[in-house]
Amino acid sequence: MNTSALSLTPRQRRAFGLLVGSEIKIAIRRPVGLFVAIGIPCALLVIFGSIPATTRPNQALGGISFFNLYVPTLMVFVLIAVGLAGLPQQLSTYRQQGVLRRMSTTPVPPSWLLAAQTTVSLILAVVGIGILVGAGAGAFGLALPHDLGGYLVSFVALVLTAAATIALGLVIAAVAKTPQIAQGLTAVAFYPLAFFSGLYVPIQEIHSQVVTDISKVLPTGVGFTALHAAFGGHGPGVEPLLVLAAWGVGATLLATRLFRWE
Amino acid sequence: MSTQQLIQAEPGPSVSVSSDRSPAPVIEVAHLRKAYGTTVAVDDVSFTVHAGEIFGILGRNGAGKTTTVECVTGLRTPDRGEISVLGLDPRRDRRELHERVGVQLQESAVPDLMRVAEAVELYASFYREPADGRELIASLGLEDARQTYFKHLSGGQKQRLSIVLALIGRPEIAVLDELTTGLDPEARRDTWRLIEGVRARGVTIVLVTHFMEEAERLCDRVAMIDHGRVVALDRPAALAVAATTSKRVRFTTTEPFLDELLLELPEATAVAHHGLEVLVAGTGDLVTAVVLALHRAGIHAEDIQTETANLEDAFLTLTDEANHSATNGETR
Repeated sequence: MNTSALSLTPRQRRAFGLLVGSEIKIAIRRPVGLFVAIGIPCALLVIFGSIPATTRPNQALGGISFFNLYVPTLMVFVLIAVGLAGLPQQLSTYRQQGVLRRMSTTPVPPSWLLAAQTTVSLILAVVGIGILVGAGAGAFGLALPHDLGGYLVSFVALVLTAAATIALGLVIAAVAKTPQIAQGLTAVAFYPLAFFSGLYVPIQEIHSQVVTDISKVLPTGVGFTALHAAFGGHGPGVEPLLVLAAWGVGATLLATRLFRWE
Repeated sequence: MSTQQLIQAEPGPSVSVSSDRSPAPVIEVAHLRKAYGTTVAVDDVSFTVHAGEIFGILGRNGAGKTTTVECVTGLRTPDRGEISVLGLDPRRDRRELHERVGVQLQESAVPDLMRVAEAVELYASFYREPADGRELIASLGLEDARQTYFKHLSGGQKQRLSIVLALIGRPEIAVLDELTTGLDPEARRDTWRLIEGVRARGVTIVLVTHFMEEAERLCDRVAMIDHGRVVALDRPAALAVAATTSKRVRFTTTEPFLDELLLELPEATAVAHHGLEVLVAGTGDLVTAVVLALHRAGIHAEDIQTETANLEDAFLTLTDEANHSATNGETR
């Protein structure tokens, strides 16, 4: 992946396009990943968006509705689903079956497949989050950022959270020798990360210093905080964004060091 | 004394290295060595492949064949030795090498849920001047499987797809590793015809195999590899002839006799008893000498069989010889 998109020849761009296209087709043919990354969060959006009690302002939550608090959580959920669940599963399967080995004998290196997979993960994330924001605002009265700055900060927070979860997924893909091991590692990482995104219960409601401290360190906790703040109109500040960036850079370096093509 | 030991007791056949150097060399490997930790996969391998030939790399599982082709195709970095393929350095000029050398490796695949036609279109896009995928699919008999998922292909169809993918870039050299392993005899023969067809297109072929029959049938020249070393390199027929310099006679007798009776003969080099069945190895007019010696001693021999060597015998003799000298005479 040393070659940036700009330095690719038209032929290479076409090859990469076909690679991404075929990975999308494969993702549609085995729709479990789509179900987890898009189906589950959208179902939760519809459920909580349809309950009157969750869409009304709530004094216990500082005057905002549970729904407005929960949508950023669902966005983070989409990102851990594509990065942590989908990506390592697919890459470790490809490694085990010899798909990476097959590609390593062509003029196109197997790192392109990794890049294509990452691209597909990002496309899935854009689709999932697009549906959450579009349907949330259109049908269930989701409060959107007040100004352009709010959108910009939300976008940066999303990109950094995506980078962190995808890089963590690559670390799992690098460490796991088989798809089964990848699945196990994903499960171990998935539930705590989902918890600190507020998936099961809002972190603010737990009133535990330990939980709050951990949520300030884990990428999903920080990602949620940054997104919630950006959507609520008061910026998250620089600190959460730096923590997210540190996760992204650190995990990427680790994955690069550990990754084996065979 | 077992047959194994009997063969080892024989003097080694002289193995000549082919000296015809007419076509240009396209692959040159000199003193290749590759170890994984303490395991030496390839100890010292040298060979030259000429343009337009089918060159066989023959050896048992674990002999170092795959590691050799992985080094030749730039997938692994050798610890020592020189490799030149089409004038390129496989590691440094890897991308250019892969444009011009098609490779089919063991344990390699396309994704389960990719269709045949999709895989061919995708792989075609990787190359500068790809072949016509549709035509290639048809010529390898995959027309009816164009829309089939990879995971639903039969073993033979998967192998044919991997030949299509190895040829899709219009390579000058095709490296085919254990292409017919796991195929039934009919599919294997079909694949052999395909390989001959590929060579007829002017593609040089490096065929890695552990099937003697395959090497004998297809290859112009064969390098036999054992324990990471080339133990012989020649035309298959020449290697078989080299092995026939030692002959074997098998017969049964009605009564036992002492081995010395036959070992005294200048033609005999070793004798093995298995009950009343006797196996004698030696050179020259062995049958006549043995029968006469027995007759003189008043022993009647029945079911006399002489064994002629083929490539498989050559392989067994040569690899045992290599093993024999490597372990200073210890038997396995």
